[in-house]
Amino acid sequence: MIGYVLAARLAASATAALLLATPLSAQSWRTLDVARQLHDSGTYTVTVQYGAGRLALHATESPLLYDMRLRYDAERTEPVHSFSPGSRTIRLGVRKQHVRLRDDENPAELQVDLADRVPLDLSLELGAVEADLDLSRLRLNDLQVESGASEATLRFDSPNPEQMRSMRLDVGAASLKAVRLANANTRNIQVNAGVGTVDLDLGGDWRQDIALNVEVAVGGVRVHVPSDVGVRVEMRKVLASFEHDGLVKRGGAYFSDNWDSAPYKLSIRTGTTLGKFELDRR
Amino acid sequence: MRRLLRAAGRTVPLVAALAAVAASPAGARLGGQQADTQVAPTAPRPASAVTTADQQASLRDRIADVRRDPNAVPLPPTNEITVGPRSVPAGTRVAGPIATAKGRLDVYGEVAGDAIAIDGDVVVHPGAVVGGNAFSVGGRVRAEGLVRGEIRTIQGKVGPVPTAPAASAADTGHALKLALGWLAMLIVVGLGVLVAAGEYLDGVVEALEESFSRAFLAGVAGQLAILPVVVLAVVALAITLLGILLIPFAVVAYALAVAGLVMLGFLAAAQVTGRALRPVPKGAIISARGAALRGLVIGITAYLLLWIVAAAFTWQPLAGAILRTIALCVTWVAATAGLGAALLSRAGTRRVGEVTPAALPEPEDLSWMTPTPVTGVVAARRPTPAASVKGPR
Repeated sequence: MIGYVLAARLAASATAALLLATPLSAQSWRTLDVARQLHDSGTYTVTVQYGAGRLALHATESPLLYDMRLRYDAERTEPVHSFSPGSRTIRLGVRKQHVRLRDDENPAELQVDLADRVPLDLSLELGAVEADLDLSRLRLNDLQVESGASEATLRFDSPNPEQMRSMRLDVGAASLKAVRLANANTRNIQVNAGVGTVDLDLGGDWRQDIALNVEVAVGGVRVHVPSDVGVRVEMRKVLASFEHDGLVKRGGAYFSDNWDSAPYKLSIRTGTTLGKFELDRR
Repeated sequence: MRRLLRAAGRTVPLVAALAAVAASPAGARLGGQQADTQVAPTAPRPASAVTTADQQASLRDRIADVRRDPNAVPLPPTNEITVGPRSVPAGTRVAGPIATAKGRLDVYGEVAGDAIAIDGDVVVHPGAVVGGNAFSVGGRVRAEGLVRGEIRTIQGKVGPVPTAPAASAADTGHALKLALGWLAMLIVVGLGVLVAAGEYLDGVVEALEESFSRAFLAGVAGQLAILPVVVLAVVALAITLLGILLIPFAVVAYALAVAGLVMLGFLAAAQVTGRALRPVPKGAIISARGAALRGLVIGITAYLLLWIVAAAFTWQPLAGAILRTIALCVTWVAATAGLGAALLSRAGTRRVGEVTPAALPEPEDLSWMTPTPVTGVVAARRPTPAASVKGPR
């Protein structure tokens, strides 16, 4: 069901993109740098919205709450950089964006650095974006990523100091690669993809059991898990294959041989149609 | 000293300062003043220096552009914007906003509002405070002190966002010409078909009027089959080695046939639509051909009117796209139903209710129709049911 919703969202995004597509006529490229100093240590809610182009998101050690560098076409893009001290919310990126059908020569770029000293509830609303999301060193309480048609890499090279409530990745037509997800320090990871490939590396520093829910309408899912982690897989598939890498079926689920003895456990619930689910235990 | 400190927040009239910019290389003097800014804030340049009207106009334009830029912070009045390096000494508090053009703004003390540099850097030194935003156009902001607002820099083009109305008007004109051209072409083609192949067009119209839904479904099926059929034909030709040579001709002929069917179908749909939109008034004396022509022109105009309206809104991307989508959908439905009707009627060669010879009942006995001489032998009699039952006596 989620897959169909995502597919519908994808179709709507594609239609909107087509309708909003504009000819390659005039351009007005500008650069905007916006930053704000960090004055306290409370939690902030950060939303980054970006329609099309390249996005890089990193943590910053400098005493800044955020630092946004945006290169944009002013005729089609309206930058947004709002900060509400009362609600402690920040919104960065662009408010509207007419998608260009061909724009390889002058890609729009957004680079966002976020403070690594304060807890953040981070939400990313992305369109057709080539995204490098390096969330290492960020103190994330919550992570939501919504993307229409992206090619995204999401990394946690170091453990998240905060206990993340949940991580939700919703992508329409995507190539999503997530690296060292165990460092996200969360018990729940939800991945919904319409069409595309999802590559989830659950390496990193395991601190608790993780429940991973992956729904892919059409496409492939590849999950990499350390060999010392116990794995349980429940799968619903329609015209899809499952490469279970030595798991044994017990009841309605597949279990790894170390399920009962593993210090940490990964419970995967997945559904895919017209695709392939691969489990790689290293 | 006190007088100098008071001068820190003092503004330099733009015209006078322009003279200073023109008279001397500001950058050369900037360093020395920075090193001593705590006691010697930047002083206005001598107004007697020569400056050109072009320079004044250029700077005024630049400031006006910044003022109109959607990402700029609000500037103070132009006559309060200084030109050249400016500094706020330590221990002083200046009500903001303060702005300088073509020079660096050093803040050692406190600015209660925004600190702005146009074509220069804003440097908030350690211990300094900017209560508002630190904003630089064409330069950088170095914030080593406290900035309570945003640290903002804009580079590249500065000014209002261009709307490019001229380009949009040209695009709109081009789209309108295109739509009107299609209207003229379709009417000409429709007239040609009506004159040269009116019977076939009538056949398609009849099939369409018989059942629109059936024709539409047949049209959808026909569209889905277009590619497979050509692939099959190519494969079939390729199997026979001699047929390979015919493949290019077959593909072209197939494409022409499909295009012809689609055009015939669309014209039929247009004629039906035209008749429905503007039926011939009761009592009007008009020939069948005239009625067909009337319906055809009205229908084509109705369909193309959607495209003309959409073209007229090309200047507005969203509305134009929505109208184009509507026009596309309506045209597609008409063309699909027309194609289906053309297929069902075999391009108008088969009429509704027409019975094929194969469907005729077998004659029971036509022997009585055998020509026989009138005289000399008994003429054959057509058998009758009564005679058959009675039999020979």
